[in-house]
Amino acid sequence: MSLHRPETQLVTGAVPVGAASGQPLAHPKRTDIAARLAPWLYLAPTVLLLAVFTYWPLLQTAYLSMVDWNLNPGQPAEFVGLDNYGRVTGSTLFQAAFVNTLIYVGASIPLKVLLPIPVAVFLWSVGQKGHFYRAILFMPTLISFVVAGIAFLWILNPIFGYAKVIFAELGLRFPNLLADPDSAIWVIIGISTWKVLGFNVLIYLAGLASINKELIEAMRMDGAGDITIFRRLIWPLLTPTLTFVTISTVIFTMQQVFTPIDLMTEGGPSNSTTNLFYMIYQYSFVTFDVGGGAAGTMILFTFLMIMAFVQFRVLDRRAHYQQ
Amino acid sequence: MQLSRPMLIVGHILVLAICLSILFPMAIVLATAFKPMNEIYAGGLLPQVPTLENFGRLFEKTAFGWYIWNSSGTTLLRVIGQLIIGVLAAYAFARFRFPYRDVLFALVLGAMMIPQVLTMLPIYIMMAQLGWFDTWWALIVPNLATPIAVFLLRQHMMSFPNELIDAAQMDGAGHWTTLWRVIVPNLGPAMSALTIIIFIDSWNEYFWPLLVTESAQSRTIQIGLREFLQEDMNDYGALMAGIIVASLPAIAVFLFFQRRVMDTFVSSGLKG
Repeated sequence: MSLHRPETQLVTGAVPVGAASGQPLAHPKRTDIAARLAPWLYLAPTVLLLAVFTYWPLLQTAYLSMVDWNLNPGQPAEFVGLDNYGRVTGSTLFQAAFVNTLIYVGASIPLKVLLPIPVAVFLWSVGQKGHFYRAILFMPTLISFVVAGIAFLWILNPIFGYAKVIFAELGLRFPNLLADPDSAIWVIIGISTWKVLGFNVLIYLAGLASINKELIEAMRMDGAGDITIFRRLIWPLLTPTLTFVTISTVIFTMQQVFTPIDLMTEGGPSNSTTNLFYMIYQYSFVTFDVGGGAAGTMILFTFLMIMAFVQFRVLDRRAHYQQ
Repeated sequence: MQLSRPMLIVGHILVLAICLSILFPMAIVLATAFKPMNEIYAGGLLPQVPTLENFGRLFEKTAFGWYIWNSSGTTLLRVIGQLIIGVLAAYAFARFRFPYRDVLFALVLGAMMIPQVLTMLPIYIMMAQLGWFDTWWALIVPNLATPIAVFLLRQHMMSFPNELIDAAQMDGAGHWTTLWRVIVPNLGPAMSALTIIIFIDSWNEYFWPLLVTESAQSRTIQIGLREFLQEDMNDYGALMAGIIVASLPAIAVFLFFQRRVMDTFVSSGLKG
């Protein structure tokens, strides 16, 4: 990398030589300071914004998790130590939210992380001819979760929805999926899969694009079949992409199912679809229990850290194995 | 790679099935939006007498004009602001050497891993103290720093040919001029990919506008649709019209940049 020429050199280079020699001594020093300041000026907006709107709030949340406060500016927050954590983790809402979070994350691995792999490998192998498929797969990425949620509310409407019409034609009774605690969560998992599958396919395609096709031809010559090529060559080379997709999908899943939950079930029936994010929202902005909301946030933060750590460990170790 | 024939057939069936499951709900939404009231609840697939009355009712019953205005305005300002701020930071990381550079870069990347849910409470309180509820400020300012933009643009700037920059600086151009006159105009694909990512993010955003908008005149399209759904649960004709209007800008972007979007999404950004 030869990018970094000192700013001073650049300035003297730009000034005619004769003029530079006549400068008073103080002048180069001032440009020196200006040169050292320059990168900080370019960085200032980003650094300030991230400090104010990401890192400071993270610390502030840790503090808020130890107070009792109802968002009323007239009422001072009262310090209660770790009480909020005990209160939140002891509630049935938390237990449901925690278990459901595990279900959301667990279901997203086969559906959103693994299923896109064969799709991507297939599209990669057909090359340009797969363009039409790619265009369709990408469409759900463009539309919002609100749009998807409302569309499926209509399709699954137990009285007038189109799913009911199809069921009736087959002579079946269409169940009210969103009113049943056993099925409601799967409707939301289905919608969030519908939304993100194509995007993950594209990310895998990016990973596949860097695989040298000559290696595959060489394996073919040695008589390897599709499955062998996939297991021995494609899968190991795809591992970094897999790590990225897994981590981003887990974070995505925690966050994005908020919208369908809020629109379609509001966490019900009987807390069967709520997750930690939705629980935090309810604590913070429905019952205005700031301490509870912040404590829930810190628990979710810990949960995400552990998940990220486990994913790195598991996927890293597997990557070593195969080398 | 050439797949063997049975694999190829299985692949086509799998992908076709997924594509159909994507297109089918979209077809139903489109069809419903153009049906008159009496047909909507009758269960046929295609509208017999297509009509625009659902769109009319949508604008009558809701402040949809305001929603469009708020979504468009805040999205436009966010795209411009996020791009400029991202370009500046990326330039600092790509072309300067200064103390703590790597630590700062790690902190910028780390911010990518911190979802909004972890920081929303203090920011919400901040907005209340600043009196920014129900204003564009609350929708725009907390979102202006974009780690992914810094990351992506830095990658592209580092691979930018040094000869061009040297030539510009030989002609007496300072950093500022070099950046905006030489580097940025040549970052086309990365900038357009980012524009689209930020556009879609901002246009489709749900959670944050839900918290900081209260009056109908300050809502964005997504939040307006939510309110409409809750107030008028059964007017599915107008709701379908609403979600079509809400999706049009993103689909327009898609149709314009179809090829470019996907290729840049795939090859420029995420490979790093």
